[in-house]
Amino acid sequence: MRGAFVMHGARWLSGEALVRLLVLLAALALLVVGLLFPLASMLVKSLQDRAGDFVGLANFARYVQTPALVGSIVNSLTVALTSTALVVGLAFLCAYGITRTCMPGKRLFRMLAVLPILAPSLLPAISLVYLFGNQGWFREVLMGQSIYGPIGIVLGMCFWIFPHALMILTTALSTSDARLYEAAEALGTPKWRSFLTITLPGARYGLISCAFVVFTLAITDFGVPKIIGGQFSVLATDVYRQVVGQQNFQMGAVVSVILLLPALASFVVDRWIQRRQVAQLSARAVPWRPTPSPLRDWAFAGLCYAVGAAILLVIGTAIYASLVQFWPYNLSLTLEHYAFEMLAGGGWASWFNSLKLAFSVALIGTLVIFFNAWLIEKSDGYRVLRQGLHFLAMLPMAVPGMVLGLAYIFFFNQAGNPLNWLYGTLAILVLNTLVHFYTVCHLTSVTALKQLDPEFEAVGASLKVPFWVTFRRVTLPVSLPAVLDISVYLFVNAMTTVSAVVFLYTSDTRLASVAVMHLDEAGYFASAAAMAVLIFFTSLAVKLAHAALSHLLLTRAQAWRQAG
Amino acid sequence: MPTLTAPLSPAAGTDRATVAEAGLHLEISGLTKRFGQFTALREIDLAIREGEFVCFLGPSGCGKTTLLRAIAGLAPQSAGRIIQRGRDISRLPPQARDFGIVFQSYALFPNLTVFDNVAYGLRNRRDDRAWIRARVAELLALVDLAGSEAKYPAALSGGQQQRVALARALATEPGLLLLDEPLSALDARVRVHLRGQIKALQARLGVTTIMVTHDQEEALAMADRIVVMNHGTIEQVGTPAEIYRRPASAFVAEFIGSMNFLEVRPDGAHALRLGRRRLDCPAHDCAGDSRARLAIRPEAVKLCAANEGLSARVEHVEFLGAFLRVGLTLTETGQALVADIAVRDAEALGLAPGASLGVLLPSEALRLYPGREARA
Repeated sequence: MRGAFVMHGARWLSGEALVRLLVLLAALALLVVGLLFPLASMLVKSLQDRAGDFVGLANFARYVQTPALVGSIVNSLTVALTSTALVVGLAFLCAYGITRTCMPGKRLFRMLAVLPILAPSLLPAISLVYLFGNQGWFREVLMGQSIYGPIGIVLGMCFWIFPHALMILTTALSTSDARLYEAAEALGTPKWRSFLTITLPGARYGLISCAFVVFTLAITDFGVPKIIGGQFSVLATDVYRQVVGQQNFQMGAVVSVILLLPALASFVVDRWIQRRQVAQLSARAVPWRPTPSPLRDWAFAGLCYAVGAAILLVIGTAIYASLVQFWPYNLSLTLEHYAFEMLAGGGWASWFNSLKLAFSVALIGTLVIFFNAWLIEKSDGYRVLRQGLHFLAMLPMAVPGMVLGLAYIFFFNQAGNPLNWLYGTLAILVLNTLVHFYTVCHLTSVTALKQLDPEFEAVGASLKVPFWVTFRRVTLPVSLPAVLDISVYLFVNAMTTVSAVVFLYTSDTRLASVAVMHLDEAGYFASAAAMAVLIFFTSLAVKLAHAALSHLLLTRAQAWRQAG
Repeated sequence: MPTLTAPLSPAAGTDRATVAEAGLHLEISGLTKRFGQFTALREIDLAIREGEFVCFLGPSGCGKTTLLRAIAGLAPQSAGRIIQRGRDISRLPPQARDFGIVFQSYALFPNLTVFDNVAYGLRNRRDDRAWIRARVAELLALVDLAGSEAKYPAALSGGQQQRVALARALATEPGLLLLDEPLSALDARVRVHLRGQIKALQARLGVTTIMVTHDQEEALAMADRIVVMNHGTIEQVGTPAEIYRRPASAFVAEFIGSMNFLEVRPDGAHALRLGRRRLDCPAHDCAGDSRARLAIRPEAVKLCAANEGLSARVEHVEFLGAFLRVGLTLTETGQALVADIAVRDAEALGLAPGASLGVLLPSEALRLYPGREARA
């Protein structure tokens, strides 16, 4: 009897190993087709002339000789570096307020600070035009300078990137060891010296990492400069102009390669730093708790509320502008601008398309990315394959959306590509968005999986339970909070992204974020604001639903989570 | 306690009868495990009898857990063979091997109730529900946790979690039970209690069991045989008494229990010289060496009046309840020696720091090991 069982076991066993290998290969195929091949086609394209013949670096030579194009490099760097300095500085102060002071209303501020993420980067740009543009209320503040150009771009970037920086720095500053501060105090160290010798060094990796993330976001963003850049061109808008405006795909590829460089560089540096940042905080560390200090607390509260107010002002402006008849001459309220049907941009259909895309990406992406991360993290065997997959999963972070979108055109639109049928469908948008935002989801999954007991799979195997059953019954339920985080991250990003999809939509699959851009181009500024606001509220609704669902699941799971 | 006869181990019972002749449950030969440059296990040969309780004992990093994981198929060996009940399992994945395992962390599934944890391996066999329910109840009764079905692991104490893990591992009636430091996460009193419980359970079920531990007391108390490991090799295999009384190497002697080591010079095959004094000792194979290490347990050292035996001075006396631990210095060679003396005897001797005494080293209690230079 036992013999029969073992025989039976051995048979489905080989099946199980085979399934594992097949799924790993499928994951590899996804990233190779969705990332590597397109990037390779783009590189090849940058070395070809219009007829498709190999011309070596001739395109790059032409690029360097065109002052209008080379100027964008300087522009991009200026804007990105300025934004980085401003955002990191401001986010550090706010994060310090949240983690190291007893300022009142921390939760409210943290909620306010997340809001910019829920809007496409087009929204702050539109609001800034309303606030500081030719008919803006605060035009005089700029003292004759135009908002169309570097000032507008930097302000828009700061608004849109601030939440990312704040999250990283809050995490970095919240890991503190009270024992160090107590030791310093016992030695009679003044506060400013504790700050310089304990606080700053403790957060230095977080600061550096934050600076690189902010820089990458700033140099690759397309939405803000597209709306408010005016004649001030940056690399991301150059790609768009070359491809969509001049149909010069080769030059588009060249600019993309150049845009890839700073992102790639900051990716490499960031990886290097992450590797050095090991176990800064020992398990025995005692978390530091701030004690009230009215002057300091209110100073930080004032700063944070000012930032919160600015965020509300920007979002509020967009909402208000979408509701008034004709800014600034006729301020009576109307819903007219939400009737998109007669205008450019594809009307409400584009919003439905965005919803379809966002839900598809959230559902498919979450399952695929989490399952892949689990295979990479928790399988044994196929070491090389798993390491390769991990590297490929990290790579999308280094690829700007514009570059990925353009690369998709080159790869999928090739005559003779068996995947050519994907071109122009919603499926290619799903694939593109999934790959574009792969890395953060992968890292979230890996972090969650590393917290699980490493022996779960071994126990399952010893009890002769197939690995997918253990995944379904144990790993997935236990990791549910992380899984929900991933899905809402994907949803919001799919809803708000412009850069990658701007090259890939067709008239049937036009998206809301692209519609914002088209409405703006066509001069329907109020409707552009309306569409951006619509995206914002959609994201907000999903985010709130996510919060409610997480809360519900956590209370239901409290039975087994709490005591642990 | 329920009776554990018919339903729990019919297969194990019949198997045991048949394998009593065959004798061996597990035969390991030439097992080597390398992690890159590092050799974690070197040419391990080991045979484990049916129904035996074997402990792998050694300091951390000695390869004992690696050996256990190789047997389970969780860390496949680089070379060598493992044969279980005549079946070559060397290349089989864990799923195809016949074992249950309890990890140091227990690895209980936190989102499943105690019932679902124990039934985890049963469900897969698609047995009918009533049978599963009865079986789980039986297993929980076996580990003294009857009625805990609906609880979640987080609501249990460490010792209870450990027993749930044990029930889960036993649920599918594995032929081999693997325990990876199952008691090390528990506090001392629970550990001693569970030690007895596991041992009794194992004896009752007759399941062949391998336990990894770094706690020599645990190994001595529980094992039928102990496998002492060091640096990826087996130093000695034997019953607890053999290991304790006749350690095969200086490492085993030092690792198990407390041991005195004295630098001596071998003098023929049956004697040695400690300073100028010649002592008889059991046959040893250090005859050709110029130096050797004499090992004697503290409780084997006898103290007597100053005019008898080797003269020594008392350095310090520790009161340890049942006995006294006496730190001594041998007058002639200046070597340190520890003796454990019953409280009753100590009073007669008038023990006090600074006192001069005689020390007797009974020849049957002496063991000789190669000197440090000879080993290197």
